[in-house]
Amino acid sequence: MSTAALHADEHHADHHHKESFISKYVFSMDHKMISKQFLITGIIMGTVGLIMSLLFRLQLAWPDEQFSFMETLLGKWAVDGKLDPNFYMGLVTIHGTIMVFYVLTAGLSGTFSNLLIPLQVGARDMASPFMNMLSYWFFFLSSVTLLISVFIETGPASGGWTVYPPLSALEKAMPGSGLGMTLWLSAIALFIISSLLGGINYISTVLNMRTKGMSMNRMPLTIWAFFFTAILGVLSFPVLLGAALFLIFDRSFGTSFYLSDIYLEGVGALENIGGSPVLYQHLFWFLGHPEVYIILMPALGITSEVISCNARKPIFGYTAMVISLLGISFLSFIVWGHHMFITGMNPFLGSVFMILTLIIAVPSAVKAFNYLTTLWKGNLRFTPAMLFSIGLVSFFISGGLTGIYLGNAALDIQLHDSYFVVAHFHLVMGSAAIFGMFAGIYHWFPKMYGRMLNNTLGYFHFWLTFISAYLVFFPMHFMGLAGVPRRYYQFTLVKEFDVWMDVNVLMTVGALIGGFAQLFFLYNFFYSIFRGKKATQNPWNSNSLEWSAPVERIHGNWPGEIPTVYRGPYEYSRPDRELDYFPQYEQDESAPEVLKTEKSKTSPAEKEEAESSVFFAAIKKVFGLS
Amino acid sequence: MRLDTLRVILNSISKNAMIMAATLLTPVIALAADVIEPPKEQSLANWDWVTILTWVLGLLVILVIARAFDIGALTEKITGKKVVSWNNVNAWIAIIFLIAGLAGVWYELVYHGKYLMLGNSASAHGDTYDSMFYWTFGFTFFVFVVTEVLLFYFMFKYRYDEKRKAHYYFHNNNLEIIWTVVPSIVLTFLVLRGFTTWSKITGELDKESEEIEVFAYQFGWKARYAGDDNILGYHNVNFISGTNPLGIAETNAVAELVTELEGEIAKLEGLQETEGDSIKAWSTRWDRMKSTGLYRTYPEDYKTLDEKLHDGLSGAYGRQLEKDIKRKKTAIRRIAEYQKDKDFFNGSANDDKVTTEIVLVKNKPYVFKFRARDVIHSAYMPDFRVQMNCVPGMPTQFAFTPTMTTAEARDVKGNNEYDYYLFCNKICGAAHYNMKIKVTVVESEAEYNTWYASQAPFVAPTTAETSEPAEEQVAPSADSTQIVIDNQVAINK
Repeated sequence: MSTAALHADEHHADHHHKESFISKYVFSMDHKMISKQFLITGIIMGTVGLIMSLLFRLQLAWPDEQFSFMETLLGKWAVDGKLDPNFYMGLVTIHGTIMVFYVLTAGLSGTFSNLLIPLQVGARDMASPFMNMLSYWFFFLSSVTLLISVFIETGPASGGWTVYPPLSALEKAMPGSGLGMTLWLSAIALFIISSLLGGINYISTVLNMRTKGMSMNRMPLTIWAFFFTAILGVLSFPVLLGAALFLIFDRSFGTSFYLSDIYLEGVGALENIGGSPVLYQHLFWFLGHPEVYIILMPALGITSEVISCNARKPIFGYTAMVISLLGISFLSFIVWGHHMFITGMNPFLGSVFMILTLIIAVPSAVKAFNYLTTLWKGNLRFTPAMLFSIGLVSFFISGGLTGIYLGNAALDIQLHDSYFVVAHFHLVMGSAAIFGMFAGIYHWFPKMYGRMLNNTLGYFHFWLTFISAYLVFFPMHFMGLAGVPRRYYQFTLVKEFDVWMDVNVLMTVGALIGGFAQLFFLYNFFYSIFRGKKATQNPWNSNSLEWSAPVERIHGNWPGEIPTVYRGPYEYSRPDRELDYFPQYEQDESAPEVLKTEKSKTSPAEKEEAESSVFFAAIKKVFGLS
Repeated sequence: MRLDTLRVILNSISKNAMIMAATLLTPVIALAADVIEPPKEQSLANWDWVTILTWVLGLLVILVIARAFDIGALTEKITGKKVVSWNNVNAWIAIIFLIAGLAGVWYELVYHGKYLMLGNSASAHGDTYDSMFYWTFGFTFFVFVVTEVLLFYFMFKYRYDEKRKAHYYFHNNNLEIIWTVVPSIVLTFLVLRGFTTWSKITGELDKESEEIEVFAYQFGWKARYAGDDNILGYHNVNFISGTNPLGIAETNAVAELVTELEGEIAKLEGLQETEGDSIKAWSTRWDRMKSTGLYRTYPEDYKTLDEKLHDGLSGAYGRQLEKDIKRKKTAIRRIAEYQKDKDFFNGSANDDKVTTEIVLVKNKPYVFKFRARDVIHSAYMPDFRVQMNCVPGMPTQFAFTPTMTTAEARDVKGNNEYDYYLFCNKICGAAHYNMKIKVTVVESEAEYNTWYASQAPFVAPTTAETSEPAEEQVAPSADSTQIVIDNQVAINK
């Protein structure tokens, strides 16, 4: 480790003065610059995704109205200001793809893994800065490809973000399944390459490049979360690449992996025989489910850090938090079938997946309760980052609980593909993860740009977004319970849907408020990059290592030696200290490393015993290991 | 000191002069826009520049308010007195949000409660389903309220206070064990219940149950009843034609289709022979349109012609013809293989009735056999707690017993026009939102028989054939039907 650091030192000294504009801002190999590139691309993609959602929300609330501005904006896709059904499907699909992959995977993980892993474990840069740069540029190409697909004549891919064949495989089945789908698949293939390059880098940096004293159990929970996320990505994204390749073969080279017994209007019976559309669903969800946690876990990691720092209190149950992350990561690989209870899969398989799925609720519950206990008797500083983190906990609870319905095969019969599902994942995965991302941005903005974001605008941003998110997604539960299906262009099919018209209007108004609230953020973000208040070195009085680096964000992170770590990252409000924080990098021999509770202080041996046997025994019991 | 404050405020105002000016100017600009483009009648449709400017105005107002708070902060700094304590403000908003939010949830439950599909299921397994639902709802709603209340209460109660130090509390094994074990127990209960409910719904078929085939296509549904012999005839995707939309194994219809396909092949082969001539003709027309300037008058025609010519010259047109011929020949070859098998064409399909409505008898067990023609669809009947995907190439099924007639449902709902529908719940194309088939449940066999008699069988009964009631037969091997049957067996298990 020390030789690597030395080498990095030399490297740093050699190249410090050679940075040109291109090598500093464009093809940069500095993890901090790459993280900003990821973030800004993510923000741009997020804005596009948000505008798309507003367009189709307008359609859902006022299906009979004509919006003249829509024709200006979309041309032939909104003749007379009325959205075309095909383009509605396209919007839904691209909104989903952008939000899931481009904003909440690359935008969230890419930004904060890149920024925080080297800074928080004490490394000069990533294990392979070059691969890191490639990771961003593949992501950039992928984003451009996806955006181009929106502008082609036949429209973007429109089979839903899951692009199930045969709909997505047959050009004649729907206009978007032509060139638009080809571009979608290319974009996703590029995205997977980017994600794998990034993931391998994160894993090796965490494992190999920690500074002196930074043992695994002293790592902040952010790093644990990024670490598990990267492992999930590296293990599951290749499967999606396989699924996409098979789909490309079916579309272009006449194979029949997913196609069988199909007759198309205006074409006739196709030759394909023997394939199974359900195979695609298995392959897709083998990525698709871990993907949900790839999105959520970094947000949970960020929340742990932000809550602990702003509650001025150690995170409650550090070990339990890590174990629950591990449990979630492991379980996420064996539950993909809960997306497929009613696809015609063998019902027995359905029951197996149901049992495995509901087990995930246990580590999730542990996390939620631990957050609550961390807040209990804390001294809560409501910075915008803290508010967004608390918002995340609220969404995590309300969205997570509905997972218990959907993970239950029997209940899924009624709720599958209804608005209940839309409500569930937008709360637990969409809103929660985006709140984690906002929390991260507000908290680490000083580390990125050396300036502070405006707090007042942050409060407006938070409350408007928080209220609007609940306003948009909570009523969807009720629609789903009444059997209203998702992905409907308008609700004219049966009269009973009329009841939900006013609810649809309410949700659209909520969405407009939410979209409007993001202007506060955009203004605040871009204004503060240049004109924000100058940051101090440790503006939040935080413990973790990144705040020991100077405000000037230099290549190589620390001007001299990399600081040594002496204790865990959550030593806030120690009774034996006057200050309410105790940085990881501050040497103080008089303070014992772990104080924990009063009782354990008296007999450390007993504490050790209790920790390792009782707690692990309980965990083992839960997972059925003993 | 007071002068100092004033200076800072004035300074801040001058800094924000641009924003202020824009705020004042916006209405003027809006008025000007009105003059340039007179406003249309006031409705949401007219989202034009005026509306956008109004939004911008709104944003500016809020920005100004935000800056005003900054002025507040500055004043605070200078005078040393607290103007706004954001920690208290946020804590109070949190409490208000909590109360308003819970009230909203309650209001929504009361207001829309009767529209929720709970407690009035129209099928036998629906009651089991609903009871499972209520248990889950009970647990989750309790946890939801308790945890959210705690969360916002903690936000309020433990808001920042300089004088206080947070409680140094690292972990507590007993607590952690409690909230690992208690959710585990609750979930074990839910899992076991869910397992029995799911097994009951998807378990053994009632031997008495009547089979109805439900067929999904872009964009609609059709149903097929087994006819007098009570056997659904075989089917194959290659048999689908205009007169035989479900592709059922009926000798004459299939023979007709073969003739039709042969005719199409002959026509395509004719086109193949005259391919060169066609391309030449397109080329001449293209030249003429281009040279006379007609392409400006008929841009759409010109575009089509241009594409055709491009395909012709690049060979894509020829390749497409070849592909179409090959595909049709494959279809004929596959049909011929089936035709050799007399068991497949055993006549049991002749009396099948293809209908555009589903009529069921109350308290009679049914099993719906789902089939999709082109892409995945999903048959969704929320009233009956029924949903199953229809997958091309893989038959699926769902068994249930209706327990409430349409008339009874109308009484319960207090709506004289209420009808059950089966609609599509898997994204399947542009008209996905517009795909339904009516389901009617009647009280007695007699009512059903009246309706049933009014439906025409696939082959008119004048040519009544004596059909052998076929038992489970093995279809021609090495073909899709084999897979079909294998899958069916797997699903039935």
